[in-house]
Amino acid sequence: MQQREEKQLETSIDALITRVAHLKASLQSFIIKLETEYDRLTWPSVLDNFALLSGQLNTINKLLRNEKTPAFRNQVIIPLLLSQDRDEELAKLTEQRVPVFSHEIVPDYLRTKPDPEVEEQEKQLNTEAARMGTDVAQKQIQALNKLCTNLLEKLNNPREDRESENAAIRQNKPTFNPADTNALVAAVVFGKGLSNRRPQGSGGSVPPGQTVGGAGPMLSGGPTLQQVTMPGAPNQQVAMGPQVPNQPGQPGKMPSSIKTNIKSASMHPYPR
Amino acid sequence: MEAPPVTVLPVSGGTINMMEYLLQGSVLDQSLESLLHRLRGLCDNMEPDTFVDHEMVFLLKGQQGSPFILRARHSLDRPNAPWHLRYLGQPEVGDKSRHALVRNCVDVAVSHNLTEFLSEMGFRMDHEFVAKGHIFRKGALKVVVCKLYRLLLPGNTESTENLSLSNLVELSMLAPAGQDTVSDDMRNFAEQLKPLVHLEKIDPKRLM
Repeated sequence: MQQREEKQLETSIDALITRVAHLKASLQSFIIKLETEYDRLTWPSVLDNFALLSGQLNTINKLLRNEKTPAFRNQVIIPLLLSQDRDEELAKLTEQRVPVFSHEIVPDYLRTKPDPEVEEQEKQLNTEAARMGTDVAQKQIQALNKLCTNLLEKLNNPREDRESENAAIRQNKPTFNPADTNALVAAVVFGKGLSNRRPQGSGGSVPPGQTVGGAGPMLSGGPTLQQVTMPGAPNQQVAMGPQVPNQPGQPGKMPSSIKTNIKSASMHPYPR
Repeated sequence: MEAPPVTVLPVSGGTINMMEYLLQGSVLDQSLESLLHRLRGLCDNMEPDTFVDHEMVFLLKGQQGSPFILRARHSLDRPNAPWHLRYLGQPEVGDKSRHALVRNCVDVAVSHNLTEFLSEMGFRMDHEFVAKGHIFRKGALKVVVCKLYRLLLPGNTESTENLSLSNLVELSMLAPAGQDTVSDDMRNFAEQLKPLVHLEKIDPKRLM
């Protein structure tokens, strides 16, 4: 009787091992495909791979639920020998994944239950859930549902907005104007259409702060002349202000006449 | 005594000998939001970046030949940022196999007294404008969507006027000379902005 059970266990474990090996092989080939052929992989072939994997997982599940399969959970595995040394046989069996059967890795590999701390946490959560009254729980469920529907609405509405927007585009409403493109490019490259500066620069007045672009700084005399006159003008104003209040135009005239001097001077040496 | 070996290559700080690959287009004001929306989705996830820049273009006229042009730019919304000086070479249109305009490009960060320095060197300002817009990145690709403004008073960036009802869209990328394959990436990106914007290589000589 016991012998028969043992034999049954062995055959079912063998069957399980072959199924898992199949699953592993198809996982491997899928990963290789993803890593090496990701650029020409088509979506249908990815879906095929997923379908294969899910079919294989299903067969494993069926195998485990089969009446003939003994309950594996009733079997106990006890580590008999732990060793710090490298075990070549084990390394070969696990494809170099587990080279040593030591105290460090055994708790992870032979674990059948969560960590004690995790178990403790789970227990706490369970008691908390049990303590809560059905009314409170119902209320919280309703609140969560409300939040979810709101969020869904918000996510769906912009889509409608966008679709109407796209529809507008599809109605051949122009979104750009080639003439404008040319005008903008010409403006950036040659300053076409921006050049209201040039006619002004030659005839109009140059603001004091804008000596940088004007023709004045070209010659060494220009800036120095201006530098002399600019501080001079306010001084005059201060000196003259109280004495001759009815002649405010005079201090303003002085620098302007000097400015025209600069201009005529600046025109002069430049062509040479 | 033996002299140390001298390299023939130009001394490069990494930026010298770089080429700018460029595609240009425009979008009407009413479609700007759709374009920005799409760019936000396509480009690298980063803080949306806006800018307001004042660009001045300086000319140095030699005895003969075409004038030497330098572009000075500075930020109006970040006055403490360094100024930006840029030299752009003659754009090459190239043949059909290359999908972008190519021009030599040197970028330098400079101090705030640049205009005085250029004036002393004999440069003269030719024109200026204000550009206001958004900048996006996707890897090495740069997308600038900006509105151009004409200055009503020279040098006064306070009073400006729209140049047109469209926004300039520029897709550019810096690469060492000869790396024309980057233009393929640019074309692919430009394809994704259709039909909102048609980015093309626009030969400026055609617009003279």
